[in-house]
Amino acid sequence: MRLIKQNIERKTGEGSAVLLPEEPEDMWHAYNLIRSNDLLRASAIRKVINESGSGSRSNERVHTTLTIRVTKLDFDPQASQLHVSGRVAEENKHVKLGSYHTLDLELQRNFTLEKSEGWDSVALDTLKEAVNQEAKAQLWAVIMKEGLANICLVTDHQTILRQKIEYNLPRKRAGSTDHEKQMQKFFQTTFDSLLRQLDLANPKPLLIASPAYTATQFQSFIKAQAASGANKQLNNLLPKITVAQSASGHLHSLNEVLSSPAVTAKLSDTKFARETQLVDNFFTLIRKEDNRAWYGPRESEKAVEQGAVGKGGGVLLISNGLFRSQEIKVRNRWVKLVDEVKEQGGEVRVLSSMHESGRRLESLGGVAVICTWPIEDLDEGEVAEEEMHEDGSVNENGDWDENGDGHGVEGRVDHEEDIDFL
Amino acid sequence: MQRVKNVDYDEDELYDDDEEYGADPEESYSQEDRDNFAALIPVVRAELEEAGSRASNKEIQNALWNYYWDVGKSDAEASAAAADGEKQEKPKSKFDQAAERSARDIADDFEDAASMLLSMAWFRDVPWILPPGRQDYLVPATPISRPRLLGGSSKLAKLAEERRKKAAAASAEGSVANGALSSLDRLTKPKDFKENEAPSAVAEPRKYPVRKKREPTPPPAEESPPPPPAEPEQEKPDLRASPTAFARTLSASPNQDILPAATTLSELLGSGQSEDPFQGPSPDDTLISHLYNTGPTKPKQTANGLTKKTEALKLDSAPPQPKLRSKGLDVPKLWAEEKAKRKPSAAFVVVGHVDHGKSTLMGRLLLDVGAVSQRDIDKYQRQASELGKASFALAWVMDTSTEERERGVTFDFAQHHFSTPKADFTILDAPGHRDFVPNMIGGASMADMAVLVVDANQLDSGMKGQTREHILLAKAVGLKKVVVAVNKLDAARPAWSQQLFESVQIDIRKLLAESGFADEDIKFVPCSGLSGANVVNQPKASSPAAWVPKAHFTLLQTLERSIPPTKPTTQETIKQPLRMQIIDVFRGSVTNPLSVAGRISSGNVQNGDVVTTQPSGEKAAIKGLEVSDEPREFAVAGQICTLHLSEIEAQHLRSGDVLCSSQHPVRVARGFTALIELLDSLLPQPVDVHLGRLHAPGTISQLIETVDGRGEQLKRRPRLLKAGQRARVRISFEEGVPLAVGEKIVVRSAGVTAAYGTVE
Ligand SMILES: Nc1nc2c(ncn2[C@@H]2O[C@H](COP(=O)(O)OP(=O)(O)OP(=O)(O)O)[C@@H](O)[C@H]2O)c(=O)[nH]1
Ligand SMILES: [Mg+2]
Repeated sequence: MRLIKQNIERKTGEGSAVLLPEEPEDMWHAYNLIRSNDLLRASAIRKVINESGSGSRSNERVHTTLTIRVTKLDFDPQASQLHVSGRVAEENKHVKLGSYHTLDLELQRNFTLEKSEGWDSVALDTLKEAVNQEAKAQLWAVIMKEGLANICLVTDHQTILRQKIEYNLPRKRAGSTDHEKQMQKFFQTTFDSLLRQLDLANPKPLLIASPAYTATQFQSFIKAQAASGANKQLNNLLPKITVAQSASGHLHSLNEVLSSPAVTAKLSDTKFARETQLVDNFFTLIRKEDNRAWYGPRESEKAVEQGAVGKGGGVLLISNGLFRSQEIKVRNRWVKLVDEVKEQGGEVRVLSSMHESGRRLESLGGVAVICTWPIEDLDEGEVAEEEMHEDGSVNENGDWDENGDGHGVEGRVDHEEDIDFL
Repeated sequence: MQRVKNVDYDEDELYDDDEEYGADPEESYSQEDRDNFAALIPVVRAELEEAGSRASNKEIQNALWNYYWDVGKSDAEASAAAADGEKQEKPKSKFDQAAERSARDIADDFEDAASMLLSMAWFRDVPWILPPGRQDYLVPATPISRPRLLGGSSKLAKLAEERRKKAAAASAEGSVANGALSSLDRLTKPKDFKENEAPSAVAEPRKYPVRKKREPTPPPAEESPPPPPAEPEQEKPDLRASPTAFARTLSASPNQDILPAATTLSELLGSGQSEDPFQGPSPDDTLISHLYNTGPTKPKQTANGLTKKTEALKLDSAPPQPKLRSKGLDVPKLWAEEKAKRKPSAAFVVVGHVDHGKSTLMGRLLLDVGAVSQRDIDKYQRQASELGKASFALAWVMDTSTEERERGVTFDFAQHHFSTPKADFTILDAPGHRDFVPNMIGGASMADMAVLVVDANQLDSGMKGQTREHILLAKAVGLKKVVVAVNKLDAARPAWSQQLFESVQIDIRKLLAESGFADEDIKFVPCSGLSGANVVNQPKASSPAAWVPKAHFTLLQTLERSIPPTKPTTQETIKQPLRMQIIDVFRGSVTNPLSVAGRISSGNVQNGDVVTTQPSGEKAAIKGLEVSDEPREFAVAGQICTLHLSEIEAQHLRSGDVLCSSQHPVRVARGFTALIELLDSLLPQPVDVHLGRLHAPGTISQLIETVDGRGEQLKRRPRLLKAGQRARVRISFEEGVPLAVGEKIVVRSAGVTAAYGTVE
C-alpha cells in the first residue's frame, strides 16, 4: 500500500491518510485499518434514476466520489475483497445525505481514511506496516494427506486457503487397483488446481507437506508432469519445491511445518516464521509450567498491571482480531494494554489472525504474555470474569465478541447443551 | 421450478430501466448488481472471443447466472429457507468479485475467471459440513452425471459433451478435466441433476476392471432376466444394476447350503414368518414382480413407509423405477434364533511398532489355516524378490497396495476374513508407522480385541514408540482383551531364548497394566511369523523352541480362546437405531458401483432398508449386503459388513460419515464436551480429533475442569492440562461432525496422542 499523503496530528491522532492499495494483500491491511464510525472516502459507481418532465425515467451510471461513515466491513480473504458499508456523510448531487452505500475498495484507486476517535498507536503501527514497501515474502503451501489437499498462499500477514481438495479414496483391497488409480487422480486434481493458482513464469517457493510419503509422492507426480514436456514452464517450479513432514493433512499442521528448522532454513527470515516461533516458545514455556507464561485477557492484563511484561524479556502476544472489535471501548482496552507494555519496555507482537500462529493465539483468548519473572496464581479468583471468553472462539472475521452473547460463528456454541448440534 | 423462475426473473430485471432508486440498502445493492452484471458480460465476451469462441449475450448471462446459482444454492441449503430478498442481495458480492477480478486479471481466460469466481464464493459462504461443501469429493466409483449448466447450445457445454464422448479419455476425464469444467463439475450438486429435466445421458464408462472376487454366486449375467424394456437405461444409470443384484441374491441363496446364513435364514423364514419368499415364485418371477411393483404382497414393516417417503422425494418426471423392498425381517428375533448355530466370531486388530512383523505374522496365519494358498505366497515371493524385498512375501497378503509393497511398510489397515472349525475371524492388520496412527485408530475402532505384536529383539524401539502408543490407543477405543505375540523369536540370540521371552513378557505386562488392562485379559504367545513356529502349528520337539508347547498355546489357539463372550447387552444393541461409521466408500463391483463398508455399532440393517447418511442427511437404499464376503439378508451390531447402496450420489458419502436409521439419525455437532484422560499436556489449542475412521480438525476451546477418579471437580478452569490428569474439556469443530454421547475420541496434536476420552 502506498501512502499518498497524510495529515495526522501526532499528539491527538486527528487527521486523515490517503492510501493507494496496490496488491491484494493491501485489502487485508485496509480491513485492519478501517473501523466502524470512521470516515471513508473513495470512488464509487452509483446508479441514478433521472425522471424527465414527461414522466419517463432513465437510468444512468455515474462515477462519483463518496464519503461514508462506516457501519460495517465485509472482508473476503479468498478474493482479497473489502466491502465497506456505511451512510453517506457528504452530500453530492447524486446522493442524499444519510443514504446507504457500500464502497468496494479497489486496487490502484485512492481512498481516504479519517479516524472518528483519532489514530491510536495500534492504528498507526498498522498503517506503518501496511505502507512498508520492503520486499514481501510469499510462498505457496500444499498441506496434504491421502485424499485431502489444502492449497494455500502464505504471505507476511495471511494464510489464505485457496482451494481445499477432498477426494474419497477407496481403501486398498486385494485384487483391485482402484486405490492406486484414484490416488493418481487425486494428485492430478490437486496438481490442476495448483497450476490454476501459480504463476509458472515466475513461481514463488512451493512447500509441500504431509504425513508419511504423500508429499514426496506428489512431488514425484509434479516431476513426472514436468518430464512429460507438456508444460515447459513446470521446470521453473521444480527447484522451488520444498517437501516437509507434517503431523496431519489439516491446515493447522502448517504451523508446525513453518516452524520446523528444515523449513525455516529454506525460507529465510519471514514474519510468519518469527510469529510461529514466538507462539511455539510460549507453548513450550507454559507446558513446562513455567509461571512466566500466561494467557487470556484478564491474566495478561494483570501481568501487565504488575509490571511483569517489561524490559528484559517481557513479551505481549496479541491477535489483531482483538483490535477489530466493533466496540470502540473494547478496542481501546487492547490499545491501552499495548501502550503500557511498550512503555514498560516490553516487546509487543501483533499476530495476524489469518496465520495459523494467530489462530493458535486466538484459541488462548487472543492474548498472551511472557513475563520477566514468574507470577503465581494469576488465574485465581477471576472465574466469573473469564466467562466472557468461554469458548475461546472468534467469528469468521476474527472479531472478538467481548460481551459473551453470540460467541463466534452463529450456532457454534450453545452453552445450554453439552453437544452443540447443528 | 424455482430455479427457472429465478433465472427468468433476473433476466427481466437486468434490462429493466424502470428500476426504482431507493435509499434502502437492499435496493441499492441489487441495483449495483445489475450494473456489475451488465459490466461483466462484455468482459466475458471479450475473453471468450479471445479464446476463439463466440457466444450470445444470453448464453453468457445464462452461464454466469448458472454458475452463480450453483454456488448460491449451497447457501440456500444451509439456511433452509432462504428468503427471496436474500437471494437478490447475494449475487452482489459474487458478481462484484467476478467483475473486479476480470478487470484485474484480464489475461486470464474465461475458465479461470469462472473457476475463481466459484472458489471464492465457495470458501466464503459454503458451510463445509453441508453437502454442497463436499462437492470436491470426487468419489470415483460413480461417474457424476452433469447437468448442462450452460444450456444445451452453449460452446462450453458442447465442449464438455464432446469430451464425455471420448471413450478413451473417459476415465481421465471423470474427475480431472482441466479448467473451469472440472471445477464446475465438482461444484455441481447432484440435486441439480435431479431437478434438471433432461440430465445428460452419460454412458457409464467402464473404468474399472471387474473385481476378481471369490463370488460364491453364479455370475450375474447368466441369472438376470433381461431388464424391463420400459426402462430407458441411460436415464438412470445407477439403477441398471438392480436387477442383477436381486437376481444374484435371490437365486443364489437357496443353493448355498454351505453358507450358514443362507440356510438358516430360509429355515427360519419358513417358521418365523408368514410367508417365505424362497418358496413362492421363482427368483426371476420375484425379481420381475419387484421391478414392476406388482408382486405378491410381502410382510411389510416400518421400512416401507420410508421407502415411500424417498420415492416421494423423487422427480415426478422420473420413469417408474424398480423398487427396493425390505422384506421386513424381524432381525433381532432371527439373530437370537440363529444363535445356537453360530460359531463364535471376533474381529481383532493387529497392532505394534513398525516392522515388528504384524503383516508377516498375519500372512503366515492365513497361509497355515489355508485361507491363502502356497501358490499365492510363491508368486509374492518371486515378485518381492524382484523388488529386493523377498522377506516381505508373507506381508504382501496384507500389504496389497503398490506403495506398501515397494516400501515394505503397511500404510492402511488391511481387512481379511478367515474361518476355523471353531470360530470366524476378521483380521484388521494395522500399520505400525507413527504417521499412520490415524489409520490404526480406524482399524482398532472396528475390533473386538487386539493382537499386540512385539519384536522380542527390538523391545526398546517400541517401548518409546508405537508399542506404547498403540496400547494406549487400544485402550482408548475400548478394547479389553489383548493377545501379545512375542515375535521374531527365531532371530533371537540364542534362537528361541526362553529367557528373552520371559523378560519381554514382564515388561509388556507391566506396560499393559499401567495402561489399565486387567491381567486376566492378557495372553502371551511366543512365536515367529516368518518361520511359522507356534502360529498355527506347534514347533517341532527337536527345535530350540521345544519348550514352547509345554507352556503355551499357539497363536491361533490363543485367539480362539480369547474371543470376548457375547454380552447379554448385544441383543439390546441390535434393537437400537442403526449406526454404522463408514470406513470405506468404493466400487464394490460392476453391478454394485457404490458400496460402503464399516462395522455396525448399533441396530441392524437388511436388504431394501432405507438409511440416512450423516452429515449429508441424504437417504440411501440398501440393495445388497455382505458379511465376511458373503451375501446376507441382514447384518447386526458388531458385524463388519459391506453395504451396496443405491439412490444416493457418491458425493454424499465419505469415510468417517455415519450411516444411520432414518427415524433416529445421528446428530451432527459443532462442539461437545468430553471427559478425557491426558497423555500429554494440552492448552486451549487446535487439535486433531479422531473418532474411529473420522479425523477432523478441531479446537479445544475451553478447559472446563480437572476431575478425580470419581469425576469430582478438582480445579475449575485450569490453565493447563498435564499428562496423567483427568479433565472435562470443550471441543469445537469448524465443520459439523456426526457424533453421539458415549463415543470414544482420541485427541492428537503435532502427531502425538495427547488424550483420549468419551463424548458427554
Ligand atoms: N526373523 C524374523 N523376521 C521377521 C519375522 N516377522 C517379520 N519379520 C521381518 O520383519 C520385517 C517387517 O515385517 P512386516 O510384517 O512388514 O512388519 P509390520 O509390523 O507389518 O510393519 P508395518 O506394518 O509397516 O508396521 C520384514 O522384513 C519381515 O520379513 C519373524 O518372525 N522373524
Ligand atoms: Mg504391516
